[in-house]
Amino acid sequence: MVSLLRTIRSVRRVGLREWWRQMQYIGDAKSGTYVGKDQFGNRYFENRNGEEEIPGRHRWVDFAQHDFNATQVPPEWHSWISHIRKEPPTNDSVMQNLSPPWQAPYVENLTGTRGAYKPYNTVVPKINAWEPSVKPRA
Amino acid sequence: MFSRTRLLVGLQPRLVFAQQGSAVRSAVIARRLISSSTCSNAQHTHGHTPPLTSGIDQRTSHHPAPPKPQYDAQGNELDAYKDGPSALDKAVHLFFFTEIIRGMWVVLENFFRPPYTIMYPFEKGPLSPRFRGEHALRRYPTGEERCIACKLCEAICPAQAITIESEARLDGSRKTTKYDIDMTKCIYCGFCQEACPVDAIVETQNQEFSVETREELLYNKEKLLANGDRAEAEIAANLHSDHVYR
Repeated sequence: MVSLLRTIRSVRRVGLREWWRQMQYIGDAKSGTYVGKDQFGNRYFENRNGEEEIPGRHRWVDFAQHDFNATQVPPEWHSWISHIRKEPPTNDSVMQNLSPPWQAPYVENLTGTRGAYKPYNTVVPKINAWEPSVKPRA
Repeated sequence: MFSRTRLLVGLQPRLVFAQQGSAVRSAVIARRLISSSTCSNAQHTHGHTPPLTSGIDQRTSHHPAPPKPQYDAQGNELDAYKDGPSALDKAVHLFFFTEIIRGMWVVLENFFRPPYTIMYPFEKGPLSPRFRGEHALRRYPTGEERCIACKLCEAICPAQAITIESEARLDGSRKTTKYDIDMTKCIYCGFCQEACPVDAIVETQNQEFSVETREELLYNKEKLLANGDRAEAEIAANLHSDHVYR
């Protein structure tokens, strides 16, 4: 359950449509400043007013997919939403300078799907199966 | 003395042990192990002890005897409870009525407060830049892989979760051909990233790599390199934020 005043305040700020979406996903009426959007369309918000949001709940993500998953957050935004970095990656000059050109596109955790990782050997196997060789009969 | 030891047949080994040592040593042991020693050390005085009383009658009678009715000069019965607490006071204390109200008031207060629960996939608790999660192999900014197959991580791994095989490449540099980490063995102690001389193996801040099958946790070199390629910006930023302490 949430506090009534907080709910009314958030609904007045974000509007009924956004509030309905929040109740479907986060399950709580939240309002804050829009921080940014990642390459997957997930939107990130922040509210650093200590009277409105408990510290630890002041950064949140609104997932773009209905089938949301914690690993849909790319690593740059993961370090922001986990409170590792202070600045979001759009403003973080350190993270922008350290992003290499060969950085691979991010994919979420695909376990349980056909794209899941399958382990394989990266060297020649040391143990080979017996291959019977029959001498041709005279 | 003999009759008493014969009574303690069950404790024979302990008595034998006490008798084996010298006299001084056995005395010391007897004094130090006074709690575990038998009652043969106790000084019994026969005939002078007061009779043992259990007091079972006082302890089992929960209801004290009702006060005897008192009468005044005219023969009217006096109220024995006149000076004590009233029946209402007793009821209040009996049912902790105010306690209930105060407890419900706390509930009511928290009903109007923002909840403390962190809604996990949307909000996350704080992590350290030194958090040790899923492993990754890093590359140099040129794209060359860092690992030089020195096998220090394999040597220091307390769970022996790392397996490395190396070969010389065509340009003469030694690189790994096999870098396997059994993530089911790994205890996430972080020794591998501390042992690494070139910062090749690191533990990223990713803790959401749970999988459905056990095989998916047997990481090979390409999986580790792919982890590093995806999260290089985050890894490098964390190392940068901690570089003054390293």
